[in-house]
Amino acid sequence: MDQHDCYPVKLYIYDMSRGMARQLSPLMLGRQLDGVWHTAIVVHGKEFFFVGEGVNNCPPGGTPLGEPDSIVDLGSTEVPEDLFMEYLLSLAESAYSGDKYNLFEHNCNTFSDEVAQFLTGEKIPSYITDLPSEVLATPFGQALRPLLESIVINPGGNNITGKR
Amino acid sequence: MTRKLTPDPSCSIGGIKMADQGAADPGNNNNNKPEASDGTIIKVTVKTPKDKEEIAIAEDASVTQFKEEISRRFKAKQDQLVLIFAGKILKDGDSLSQHGIKDGLTVHLVIKTAHKAGDGGSTSASSSTSTQAGNTSTSSPAGFGDLSGLAGLGMGSANFMELQQQMQRQLMSNPEMLSQIMENPLVQNMMSNPDLMRQMIMANPQMQQLMERNPEISHMLNNPELMRQTMELARNPAMMQEMMRNQDRALSNLESIPGGYNALRRMYTDIQEPMFSAAREQFGNNPFSALGGNSESGAQPSRTENREPLPNPWGPPNSSSPAEGGGAPTGSTSTTGGTNPSVSNPLGVNPGSLGNGMFNSPGMQSLMQQISENPQLMQNMLSAPYMRSMMQSLSQNPELASQVLMNNPLFAGNPQLQDQFRSQLPVFLQQAQTPEVRFQSQLDQLTAMGFINREANLQALIATGGDINAAIERLLGSQPS
Repeated sequence: MDQHDCYPVKLYIYDMSRGMARQLSPLMLGRQLDGVWHTAIVVHGKEFFFVGEGVNNCPPGGTPLGEPDSIVDLGSTEVPEDLFMEYLLSLAESAYSGDKYNLFEHNCNTFSDEVAQFLTGEKIPSYITDLPSEVLATPFGQALRPLLESIVINPGGNNITGKR
Repeated sequence: MTRKLTPDPSCSIGGIKMADQGAADPGNNNNNKPEASDGTIIKVTVKTPKDKEEIAIAEDASVTQFKEEISRRFKAKQDQLVLIFAGKILKDGDSLSQHGIKDGLTVHLVIKTAHKAGDGGSTSASSSTSTQAGNTSTSSPAGFGDLSGLAGLGMGSANFMELQQQMQRQLMSNPEMLSQIMENPLVQNMMSNPDLMRQMIMANPQMQQLMERNPEISHMLNNPELMRQTMELARNPAMMQEMMRNQDRALSNLESIPGGYNALRRMYTDIQEPMFSAAREQFGNNPFSALGGNSESGAQPSRTENREPLPNPWGPPNSSSPAEGGGAPTGSTSTTGGTNPSVSNPLGVNPGSLGNGMFNSPGMQSLMQQISENPQLMQNMLSAPYMRSMMQSLSQNPELASQVLMNNPLFAGNPQLQDQFRSQLPVFLQQAQTPEVRFQSQLDQLTAMGFINREANLQALIATGGDINAAIERLLGSQPS
């Protein structure tokens, strides 16, 4: 029998372009992209995400992006909060410190995918993790690549290591 | 101690323990390699946040055995290891196969560090929240440190930015809230302190940008008298209307200056009317009556003072006015730090910053919101005829266009991207318009010259990229006459 409780794990998906990508992507990129996805994992009553400052957390739906566009249920986990925080701290010190943020290769969705697998064994939907490669496959994406690489998304929340 | 790496037929699983060569293990079968032939060996990847190793283990091994192997590889004590697979924590008594761990799969490992496990483990959650409360995320103004007062308003977050965010959201969805907030004596106290208000407003990065571009605003903010006046006004809607009327009266005096009436009229129909109607329509109806040229309703009675109260774009008192200068800390839709809107001073800002202000008005904001919720609207909007002139002016004035786009949260806080976009904007805007739109004036000219075949004109213009003379050459060359 499970001694530990089951904690539900959800994936919050935000469209950072607020619908503009859906409209403008055929025009600008030549292919249809339904959104510029930012994701966060919600577990233990908090939302966790990886941004330019590192791993941050906030109350669910508490970033300036507001409420998520969609929520995916990833199942549940036995991992209790303290263990999870240790895991996150460890991640934040290594692969997910602030300076490791890269808009294409190592972004919020990479983080969400990894944490989702840790917590539940499930990956996040592939249309999200495939987004960077889709953009880079277009000439526009290639042209803007140096610029986009310099973008670091900082939608707020608090860094879990306490640093800013 | 040496470990045996090959199965030793003299040992068996669960059976008699034979002494390993040089090993001194306590009494269980410590070899992870199955000596007997029942279990196959599987390779399982063990992943920590920092590291990852592939470990070969018997398919039917127990979690304990697995942990022993892991503790060797990762140089950690067994009781520090926590294994997680498919969301479940692997307990020592379980077996790997019970959890479905097969060859090639990944198991997650967390190595509890001793001191962290004690105080950091269970209290890390609470300590991180206390640091949240301690260092607020943005440079919050000094006087705002005690948030417990506002928590009484129903927003209990300890973080300034979240508070701001939540307030904004709630305000946008519930206008009565604003009036409630205004009535709260704490808020009123706060607002009567101009320094505090100024600090709060200046803490907003968008406001800072706005101020950089428009030094008049910073002057305004720095004038305590003005700030106080503004805050009085924000609190007291009757007084605000009074002020508006005063300014309207002043404006109507302008009419007596030759040419003044036309200037006023132009100002009104081009700028203010769309804004007013947009704000009025905010709660539901057709957003496009806002941008359209409702020139009928815009016709002012000539030469007489307009005695009717002009529509208050901010609706009934205190409703839906999230962007009032000095109002509740909303931040991002700040049209102004100070003066009131009226006909004479449409956006409450110095006319120098007029262009920017327009797109920050609450009406426009809600329009943008509606558009983003219904992308079809955007298509329609782009192809509508009255948009054409706006787009043209936008494309001729990249500064203006850039300011429109800057409000998008995607760009906020990233000056590099803004610069890039600014330079690319003319290109972008060209593309966003159809050729017909772009060449409208040239088309008109051609038609006036006698080239009545619009299609051919358009083709020629497209081919020559808008060059009228070259287009004429083309047309003449292709025409039989």
